[in-house]
Amino acid sequence: MEISFDKYSLIIDGKRVFIKSGAFHYFRSPGEKIAQDRFRKMKAGGYNAVDIYFNWNYHSQKQGEYDFSGIKDVRKVLKAAKDAGLYIIARPGPFINAEVNAGGLPFWLLQKEDVIPRNRIGTEYKYSPRYMEYIAEWYDHIIPIIKEFDNVILFQIENEYATDTMEEDYMRELYKMARDRGITCPIFHNDAYFAGLWADCVDIYALDLYPYINPNQNWKQDNFCFDTLDNVEEIFRGAKEDSPPFVAEMQAGWFDKWDGQGYKHLREALGDEHINIMTKTALSQGVTLFNHYMAAGGTNWADLACDEVYTSYEFCAPIDEFGIMQNNYFKAKEINYFLESFDFTQTEAKDFDFYQENIYAKMRHDLTNDCDWLFIRYLTDGTEAADISLPNGKTVKLKPCDMKICPVNLKLKGCEIEFSDVEIFARLKNEDEETVFFIADENANIYLKDGTVISGDKQDYEHLSFGATQFVFLTRKLSDRSWLLEDKIIFNADYVLPNGAVALEKNTEIAYFDLKNKFAKKTYVVREDEIVKEPVLAEITDIKFCAPEIDSGYDYSGWTKIKDKTDSLSCSLFDEFVWYKAKIPNNLNTITLSARHLFAVYINGKEVLNRNSYKIEKLQDVPETISIPLTEKILNKPVNELTILVQNLGFDKGFSGDTNNPRGLVFFRTSPEIPTEFSVCEKLSLERCKKYESENPYLTKITSYFDVDTDENEFFAKYVSFKDFDYKRATIFLNGVKIGRYIKRAHVQDKFYLINEFLKPHNKLEVVIWEKDRNIKSPWDFKSEIKNVKIIIGTQKLYKIFK
Amino acid sequence: MAIVPEFLIKRIYQKGSLKKLEDGVSLVLKNVLGPGLISGFNFVKINDVLFEPKDVKFITNGVEYSGADVSEENPVVFRLGQIGTLIMKGKECIVDGLNKITIEAMNPEAGKVQLSVDDNKTP
Repeated sequence: MEISFDKYSLIIDGKRVFIKSGAFHYFRSPGEKIAQDRFRKMKAGGYNAVDIYFNWNYHSQKQGEYDFSGIKDVRKVLKAAKDAGLYIIARPGPFINAEVNAGGLPFWLLQKEDVIPRNRIGTEYKYSPRYMEYIAEWYDHIIPIIKEFDNVILFQIENEYATDTMEEDYMRELYKMARDRGITCPIFHNDAYFAGLWADCVDIYALDLYPYINPNQNWKQDNFCFDTLDNVEEIFRGAKEDSPPFVAEMQAGWFDKWDGQGYKHLREALGDEHINIMTKTALSQGVTLFNHYMAAGGTNWADLACDEVYTSYEFCAPIDEFGIMQNNYFKAKEINYFLESFDFTQTEAKDFDFYQENIYAKMRHDLTNDCDWLFIRYLTDGTEAADISLPNGKTVKLKPCDMKICPVNLKLKGCEIEFSDVEIFARLKNEDEETVFFIADENANIYLKDGTVISGDKQDYEHLSFGATQFVFLTRKLSDRSWLLEDKIIFNADYVLPNGAVALEKNTEIAYFDLKNKFAKKTYVVREDEIVKEPVLAEITDIKFCAPEIDSGYDYSGWTKIKDKTDSLSCSLFDEFVWYKAKIPNNLNTITLSARHLFAVYINGKEVLNRNSYKIEKLQDVPETISIPLTEKILNKPVNELTILVQNLGFDKGFSGDTNNPRGLVFFRTSPEIPTEFSVCEKLSLERCKKYESENPYLTKITSYFDVDTDENEFFAKYVSFKDFDYKRATIFLNGVKIGRYIKRAHVQDKFYLINEFLKPHNKLEVVIWEKDRNIKSPWDFKSEIKNVKIIIGTQKLYKIFK
Repeated sequence: MAIVPEFLIKRIYQKGSLKKLEDGVSLVLKNVLGPGLISGFNFVKINDVLFEPKDVKFITNGVEYSGADVSEENPVVFRLGQIGTLIMKGKECIVDGLNKITIEAMNPEAGKVQLSVDDNKTP
């Protein structure tokens, strides 16, 4: 595949291509089948490319070891993209951010004293030859795989990088390393500061745009958040005049944090208006390559998350974590279909003298279709529509936070549209005829050059003919359920697959249209009865106390002994849970410690402190050091057994903080000060060994079994809900795989995706509850209470697929 | 570590805008970085003279804000391309020749943002 570009667009094998991409994280959506499902849904939604981060840390848990097998087989992911008909934008870092643990840098790398991650300390540039050597090792492993796929059209080096002095050595070396290893497609970087950074070091200048990153902000009211987007063409031209405007990350959602307001809030705040405005405004600025970040949400299973984010990385993406299409998917689909129908790869800004408060209006001349397009937007948090009187004498009525693309002097086969604020959904055409599908709008009109005015107030499938051109109208509701394939449109389906298979939740009458056969209808029966399986309470079959490490007399002689530093990096302990055990005498007054992020201290098998030390303020970790007074009652033996359990929620993602900020037991001192020799071990005992029963109730495991009926002709997504769960913390395992962290917060995630890849016909769900001492009256009572714990297993969605 | 590299923050300061006033000093900022809110003025330091938020006034879009009144709850909108004047009163601080200027402000997304530049006094 030959890929070139000019100032307008990417050119693939000599043909201009508008790149409509969306981001997908294979590590957060594990397994070939999930990748296939999400890619097919992206393709069905009109995307023609997928952006894939390659997570170095995910593949290299130990120095010198790289794992691309099983669910880590990226070849299968790339093949799934190719099979779905998507181009690939490859982003192998080395640093990726993506709210993953340590920004995707391997833990072993963070330990190296002679390595300066990303060649910078703070924002000060410090070139690290050893770091470059390790990057070469990563590139040597990942680039040969990427190179196997000829649908890779773009390659990114680093991510969102800047230093105070902007030395170019690092970026130039990365560029050379990629080229030396055979990358032939254009190389770009993703500038988070939209300041033209690194434009001279790459082929195509690209930037990311996230106007809404503060959930407390009302973007509809604070319309200044689009200032950069509204002027982005100027930024592109200033940075690199001869490369096409490329938004490498265009906001399609946002991530929620531990102390956030929940994805429900974020989805409501963004609505489907945000993606509409983002994408159409970018088009109005001449952008011909965009990448919706994210197109498909994912799950921070195992230890994938950085410390900021919880299990769900739903991201308010068009396709959510469960693989279900959301309202912003339908809006993105609508724009993608429009771009599929009209070649937008060569447009020029055109003077358009117009001002009205809260209205953004931009005209572009389309060199391919020889027409103009008016982009018009109304931003307000009010509820009243705006009447916009345009210089051409037409009035456009826009709903709050709506944006339209209106054709001006658009020549069709059988007529010419002088102006239309009835938006075009899609077009099918051949040499002889064409059908243009419009989205019905009672407040809008189509004005033809011959003076005919067509009201947009239409019913589904109403149509008009103008010689070789036919207009067909669809209501918004039906357009959401309409699917453009190469030469036909399928109506009224929940979704379709690129091969024309139809997915339905219930019995439905489907309509088909193509230019040769026009309309046809067919009814599909999903099920004879309308019974859908209700969520069920998980039946708890087993309750066990499961932290023998806390028990007095526990044999930890096989654990690793450490002397100096106790933090995770120093001890090579990268798991979420780390155990520390030591002997302490009975003459101590206090112990003082700092641990990230949640921890508990047990002495002689009894809890003396249980603390959530996680706090981030102004995007920075807030360290906390705590002193625990020790009494004779606590230190009741000549030699006492100290156990500390630390839960590490992840390393910093490395965007505004340092990836190697310490985790685990960061600081420990006794008073009077004595040397303490710790022995350490990682993971919960049930993950390490079969014998994990214990006497103490602090960590308690409940087990439940459930069955799943799998059918090749169905898409289903299942969840486990902790909505009525009374405890503060839990770790969830599905068939032995850690799939979730539950920590009660104000806006807690209480529904967890039972990731299809880990589901079997017969499943074991284990939940480890880590409870505070004060909530446990007696182990016996506690066990009895837990019998009544409510965990619900349900089906998020179930679609029958008709091939 | 600040999210925004220093060389980008420096671009906010309008070179040559440092002026001596009858009872203080003024300087001009222009937001060339992106859409933004100022959610606090921590301090302004000119040479060795420190001005606390209460001694700082920020005038933008015809509205005058006392530095002490600007907070996360009461931020100042400072849009891309928008110009604002900082006025510090009550202390002598400016010298002939090069002056060292440090401004520390807060942004809800970036946290603490510190701008350090040198500039000559404008006659």
